[in-house]
Amino acid sequence: MQANTSITKKPGSSVNDAFASHFAKSMFLTIAGLLILTFIGTRMFTHVDLNLYGYMVGTIVFIGGFFYRFIAWGERPPTKLFIKKGLKLLFRKSTPKTAVNHLAIYDFIRNRGVYRWVQHILIGWGCVLAFLVTFPLVFSWMYFTMEDNGYYTIVLFGMNIMNVKADGIIAWLSYNALNIAAIMVTAGVCMALYRRLKNMQARAEQKFMYDFLPLYLLLFISITGLLLTFQNVVLHGWMQPQMSLIHQFSVIVTLIYLPFGKLAHIPFRPLSVFARNYREHYSEQHMKECKVCGDQFVSVEQSNDVIQVLDVNEIDFNMNDGFNLAELCLPCRRKYRIAKFSGFATHQVKVKEANQNANG
Amino acid sequence: MKKRLYLELENCIGCRSCLAACTQCGGHEERNRNYVYDVNPLVNRQTMPLMCLHCVNPACARSCPAQAIQIHETGAVLSALVEKCIGCQNCTIACPYGIPKFDTEQNLMYKCDLCIDRSKDGIPPMCASVCPTNTLQWLTDEEIEAKQKQFNLDNGKWVTSMPYLEGETNVKVNLPGILQGVTKLF
Repeated sequence: MQANTSITKKPGSSVNDAFASHFAKSMFLTIAGLLILTFIGTRMFTHVDLNLYGYMVGTIVFIGGFFYRFIAWGERPPTKLFIKKGLKLLFRKSTPKTAVNHLAIYDFIRNRGVYRWVQHILIGWGCVLAFLVTFPLVFSWMYFTMEDNGYYTIVLFGMNIMNVKADGIIAWLSYNALNIAAIMVTAGVCMALYRRLKNMQARAEQKFMYDFLPLYLLLFISITGLLLTFQNVVLHGWMQPQMSLIHQFSVIVTLIYLPFGKLAHIPFRPLSVFARNYREHYSEQHMKECKVCGDQFVSVEQSNDVIQVLDVNEIDFNMNDGFNLAELCLPCRRKYRIAKFSGFATHQVKVKEANQNANG
Repeated sequence: MKKRLYLELENCIGCRSCLAACTQCGGHEERNRNYVYDVNPLVNRQTMPLMCLHCVNPACARSCPAQAIQIHETGAVLSALVEKCIGCQNCTIACPYGIPKFDTEQNLMYKCDLCIDRSKDGIPPMCASVCPTNTLQWLTDEEIEAKQKQFNLDNGKWVTSMPYLEGETNVKVNLPGILQGVTKLF
């Protein structure tokens, strides 16, 4: 692949050649983008909230880790293929519906159980809400000023968005957005922990480091965050500076860990929209017929893509009988294996597979 | 002591205990992940089980764009991680044996994980622990070697994993009896 590109393209002609690697380029563009947005958002760096300086550094380390992980992941042959074709099919009519379904209301999780769906909605949307509040605050894209007594002006990207009464409902919601998020996440995490400890199906597969640690981290963030509010309101700020450092520590550790553990599914999940589009689009184009029974079971495109991806991995399932195994429908492929074992051509017998569901 | 799943295919009587046992494994959500096939359904009653053979170089995991199919240190190729599986079904197309099952509603692939919560501690997987005819066995490498010696009649009819499979597998498959004219006592 590398050799090919250097032959077809003149070296030194593309902007990409200014960077040592994909990683360097992505990092440069992102940091530059953040700087520009912050420059605008803070009205030329006049409104930087230095209290949140630690979060800013943490975010930049997180972005480094995220690109490292994401690029390594995106370079895998099947992932690369889905990203490429997914981007091409991004503007299908069904994309908004699929995206809302997969990324916002998680219909597929509801089908796994309403309990799991509720816990995921609470954790997921709690985290999203917290992200939406903290990131603009950390980079000072959003801040509050008080020009008239008793009225706050909300400033977003240097523009005065609205004047709100300091003791009004919108102001109250803004002050407490992170508390609401923390309560949502705490409730969701408790539900998740309860299920992991009590549900026998779940218990069989849980590992402390992979499944519990992220939950404990989220709980750590939420509880220390809520304690900050508690200390302000009830304890007149007693030990508040110390707790704020602990909270900062919890957030930064979780951010840096995010791309590498279970939480990595958050940035990677949009690929499921790509995959759905890919399947829908190419199924409409041309379906593959099973080489044995003639049933249409997958799009021609996907069958070919899988064969090609396996080829990159030096796996080749071309049979002497004149087909690739990826060209057989699943029941025929299983029967073909039985035929290989027994020497009798089971896949040629036109009988539907019997009782495969242990239903008696 | 590392043990493997070992299949003596022609012992199968088609009782489907392995399917029923599979549904009862923790984490399987009461759905079985293995198969039992009639070899020649219109003529006789010979059946054979088919389960994931846990390839050393698994095509399903290689074709997964989401890295949802992980390989356990015991060599078991695990079922899709629920949070990572994006529902593209590449694995079902890639698997040379047609093993992975797909749930459209849950947008999730599931496959044999060799009952990993059991087998990681040396406990046989559910299917092997219930099989009444020793079709599915849970053996050490030495025991498998002894089996091979026992049935090696040097007549070229020894049927074992490699020539009949698509690659090296962690589960060993064997069809020793019928083809070699050995009478077996159960």
